[in-house]
Amino acid sequence: MEEENFSPRDSLQVIQSMIDKTKAELSENSIYFLLWGWLVFTGCLLQYFLLVIIKTPYHFLAWLVIIPGILFSIFYSIKYKHERRVKTYISDSMSKLWTGMSISFMALCFILTNIGWQHAFPIYILFYATGTFISGGILQFKPLQLGGIICWVLAVASTFVNYQNQILFTAAAILVSYLVPGYLLKKKAYNK
Amino acid sequence: MFDELDPILHSQLRLAVMSLLIGVREAEFTFLKEKTNATAGNLSVQISKLKDAGYIDVVKQFKDNYPQTICKITKKGIDAFEMYVSALQSYMNP
Repeated sequence: MEEENFSPRDSLQVIQSMIDKTKAELSENSIYFLLWGWLVFTGCLLQYFLLVIIKTPYHFLAWLVIIPGILFSIFYSIKYKHERRVKTYISDSMSKLWTGMSISFMALCFILTNIGWQHAFPIYILFYATGTFISGGILQFKPLQLGGIICWVLAVASTFVNYQNQILFTAAAILVSYLVPGYLLKKKAYNK
Repeated sequence: MFDELDPILHSQLRLAVMSLLIGVREAEFTFLKEKTNATAGNLSVQISKLKDAGYIDVVKQFKDNYPQTICKITKKGIDAFEMYVSALQSYMNP
């Protein structure tokens, strides 16, 4: 970039182009939505298969699929934090939000272990709704906000069906709040 | 009547640096260099001028045994940037 006198119109172009370059890197966010979307979606279908088709009492073992996700998320976030050369308000907000959500998810595991897992799925869907709705607001990405709104409806609706079908409601919730917005986010980042 | 443009900001590279920093919490020197396509020497000189004007804070530290320079816009810098944009608007819409 050369040092020279330039017009007010040039100034505005410089400002616009530089501000565009610092907009949130959307791709980094889509990775988490797609990873956790596929893991939870797989966990739901696997548990449904083990519970309804195989009829095993060990259907809950389906959720072991999330262990690689936890390890990958920790590894990836440490690596990303180490490598990133710029801190934006958006990336900081997303980091704080999902760190908080992760702690709540873990706390919920302990709470449900004590009080019983029979009503776990509507509560988890509520968590997905809150996390994705706020993320959509931070990233100004409407599909995430819409996914969050649909999750609130699914969370309430799931209380009218039995436990087996609540698993399918959770799969639907993760599809609309993580997977579909995750792919749209990835596509948007790719086009950008 | 046109508002006077701040001579510190009315320079392509310094304005580019300020425009990058206005949207982030802080950025490394290498990030600024990559986004502005400036040479390290030229960028260092312009960053020093912005620092001397009080528009940015510069922190030099070590990360994995390598020197790291982190830049962050100050309150004075934000005010100056906003006044500069306001002055630009008077030129664009007299």
